[in-house]
Amino acid sequence: MAFVIAAPCIDHLDQACVEVCPVDCISHDPGVDRKAYIDPEGCIECGACESACPQGAIMLDVRLPAAWANFTEIDRGWWIDPEWARDAVDSQAA
Amino acid sequence: MVVEIAGAPPAGSPSLTRRPIADGPRGMRRAPDLADNAVLVAREMLSPTVARLVVRPDAGVGPFVAGQYLALGVRIDDRVVQRPYSTASDPAAADSHEFLVRRVPDGALTPRLWTLPVGARVHLGPPKGTFTLVAGDRKPHLFVATGTGIAPFLGMLRTLARRPEPPRTILLHGAARVEDLVCGDDIADLAPGGLSITYVPTISRPDDPANRGWSGRTGRAEAVLASVLRSAGLAPGGGLAPARGLGPGGISAYLCGNPGMVAAAEAVLLEHGIPAADIHAERYWTAPSATGESSAAGAIVGAGPA
Repeated sequence: MAFVIAAPCIDHLDQACVEVCPVDCISHDPGVDRKAYIDPEGCIECGACESACPQGAIMLDVRLPAAWANFTEIDRGWWIDPEWARDAVDSQAA
Repeated sequence: MVVEIAGAPPAGSPSLTRRPIADGPRGMRRAPDLADNAVLVAREMLSPTVARLVVRPDAGVGPFVAGQYLALGVRIDDRVVQRPYSTASDPAAADSHEFLVRRVPDGALTPRLWTLPVGARVHLGPPKGTFTLVAGDRKPHLFVATGTGIAPFLGMLRTLARRPEPPRTILLHGAARVEDLVCGDDIADLAPGGLSITYVPTISRPDDPANRGWSGRTGRAEAVLASVLRSAGLAPGGGLAPARGLGPGGISAYLCGNPGMVAAAEAVLLEHGIPAADIHAERYWTAPSATGESSAAGAIVGAGPA
């Protein structure tokens, strides 16, 4: 399991999650990305990001509602192929 | 499993993208920048299951505030496995960070920390967290910890001890066994200064053979807390007896350790009229033991099998 940043983050990018993440596993490219991404291999499931997010955008992958289920793959994908992830975010936001 | 979430969109989501995730060179995974940037300079066994690890960052400790946490990591199979731990160090005097670490037998990190040679390279993240002393707060300070949850309070007490007129402090420390009441000597070392510390240790399993000979308080920390508040003149319902100890200005309470203790202690404090704004909490992750019971693992809340 890992925490995932879902649609409410898009174009908000508050970054409170980045501040509190004890293991620095949340990132984005400033000026390029529309949301932040959690590295599922680095996430230790502490939940600090979930409670810090003012948008309510972050939750455990197993608790994602069906409409946001794709964000598990999007967060994972950004660490491999950021352009793919950005296209996916655009699709989700459309 | 689908969980209903308020504000969530209706089911059904658009397709992801027009193409698959890249493979080949473009598909190389980004590696987070987790350098081995510190060295383990000491490991002191405080009990059979709790160690004090002293870690010195190559670039110095830098600015931090008592009560904050840092990620401590070790490279295992080319990957840094890390968990956050509260620093017990005094920000004004430290050239290293002290961590209290409880060994989790099947944990991903702590067994390695137990065998790591002194002098080994480790990863240390930046200090984070807001579980810190309220600046300028003159009210008496009540600290409640279970197990290794005493760690941030050591840093806080060391910080308070340097103040010209430190507030009165009470430290209530709960553990299942006497051997887990770690760092009593550290508290004693602070007492000769100008800091007033009332140290209240308690054992939650007095019938455990390991606690034979214990003549101090017994009961869980949250239960003893009610007794401490009563003896200080605070009654359920918020009644105050200003002449007895803590005074009419209220107290500032800091809770750290097992999430169950934190929740129960919060309830006790609220019942005794302590405003929620004066209650500060840090919850540690709890690991199920072989007996199905939980024990504070020492890392910040939720930090996985440590």
